Amino acid sequence: MTIPATWEPLTDADPVLTIAQDLFSTMIDGEPGHLYQWMGESPSLEDSRYAWVDVSGPVVTRVMLMAGRATGEQLTRALLQMDDSEAVSDADFADAVGEIANVVGGNVKSLVTNPGALTLPVVTHQEPDMSTAFCLLETYFGWKGAPLGVSLWALAS
Amino acid sequence: MTLTAETFDFVATLVRQRSAIQLERGKEYLVESRLAPLARSAGALDVDAYVRGVRADVTKHDVVVEALTTNETSWFRDLNPFTVLRSHVVPDLVGNGRSTMRIWSAACSTGQEAYSIAMILADNFPTVRSNIVATDLADQVLAKGRSGRYTQLEINRGLPAPMLVKHFERQGPSFEISSALRSQVVFRKHNLLDTPPAGGPFDIVFLRNVLIYFDVVTKRDVLRRVRGALAPGGYLFLGAAETTIGVDESWERVPLGPSSVYRPREGNVT
Amino acid sequence: MKALVIDDSRVMRRIVSNILVDVGFETIEAENGQVALDQLEANDDVALCCIDWNMPVMTGFEFVVAARKRPEWRNVTLMMVTTEGEQDQIVRALAAGAHEYVIKPFTPEVIVDKLQFLGLVDVKESV
Repeated sequence: MTIPATWEPLTDADPVLTIAQDLFSTMIDGEPGHLYQWMGESPSLEDSRYAWVDVSGPVVTRVMLMAGRATGEQLTRALLQMDDSEAVSDADFADAVGEIANVVGGNVKSLVTNPGALTLPVVTHQEPDMSTAFCLLETYFGWKGAPLGVSLWALAS
Repeated sequence: MTLTAETFDFVATLVRQRSAIQLERGKEYLVESRLAPLARSAGALDVDAYVRGVRADVTKHDVVVEALTTNETSWFRDLNPFTVLRSHVVPDLVGNGRSTMRIWSAACSTGQEAYSIAMILADNFPTVRSNIVATDLADQVLAKGRSGRYTQLEINRGLPAPMLVKHFERQGPSFEISSALRSQVVFRKHNLLDTPPAGGPFDIVFLRNVLIYFDVVTKRDVLRRVRGALAPGGYLFLGAAETTIGVDESWERVPLGPSSVYRPREGNVT
Repeated sequence: MKALVIDDSRVMRRIVSNILVDVGFETIEAENGQVALDQLEANDDVALCCIDWNMPVMTGFEFVVAARKRPEWRNVTLMMVTTEGEQDQIVRALAAGAHEYVIKPFTPEVIVDKLQFLGLVDVKESV
């Protein structure tokens, strides 16, 4: 499969990092500087969770977020301004992590010429089957010492 | 990822010497985040490595100070001055026969104030020509102002959506202001303690949220220079926390609508 | 003043509501456009709606179109708060009758700035 031409700019990790940094500095950390590019080998995630939105079009494109459960809980607490000791319910977790995927996905979509519509976010604890999809980009960020993955996929129609 | 104490101390000292701004311990993340783009564009391995290079290269010191002292700015900051500009100031100047407005946006940072003024004039006084001079000390912010390109986060800050769609065009991750508005604003490097910039005498001067950083002697000096650059019948806008009262009595504070402006007292000779 | 916060994400509704409450609004919520229309029917004192775009059942855009057909709601200020950042989408939403448009992500100041411009919150000048 070839890369859809209009998605070319996003095969570089920089725009995606900027989008994620904007989101983290405004709504999660309240200040810049806490999200950075993960250097070195792709890390492994502990008890990983997956959240994604799809952008419709001639080729459906998926923007997927990957995080360990503990990191996802930290993100949920940060978004909801909860204490570190507060338990995170599954509903809050799915809502918060799904919304992060939605904001990243929506902003990624804005960089593409003539994109289609954005789907509602899906959050799972099982990696979706991407065996027939083409990976446009996979990159990892560090946040509070923990890795956070973002990947972009062209799905086979 | 964290900076070495050596890097942080060097940067904090440099910034304090150049700008009087204090960077306390605990602000390492700020240094890291502001300098990371510079490090990346210089091809340095990380911020520590970049700063090691900067220590040996005095020509890079300005860029580092600028990166750490540039403040966020918003469109139509505080709103009231722009309301008064539209409702009172420009109509008064037009009533007095002005068909071209000469305007100085001092300490303009990345240009949002200058372009906000340009939008007010374009949308409300289409027959009035405007020449806006926007000045700042820092090359980096001037270059950004000239480019007229702003990120989504910058656009979000105070720019009304109808003006966004009317005057800007999305270009990838940024929004670019129309060439018509860009051509009305000239960006120049200028120190407020020097002779006022070319392009005057000015009918309107915006000198907002700058005087607060100066001591009273410097304030007086800056206000005297501004008065010299103001056209007869001209208007000065200061920040909400700033005033000429008790600093320079040759100005008169004139309450206008929800805000105040300053005008040279009549018969005052300096 | 009462505001209606419309978003399918409960997290996002809470974030927006907190900002509005801080500047003096009383808030009610809806998880999609249809529920929002029902809320408007039941509350005749809503002054502001903050509207997400992508929601199940009825989108925010469809809500704006439907709400603008009702003359009795013409004084309600409609502000999109969405991750949709393309210029075409902003133009479409304004043409359909939205007054303002905030692109996610945002800080509380972004929302407050817009409300000041709309005259829904008093202007406090910054220092």
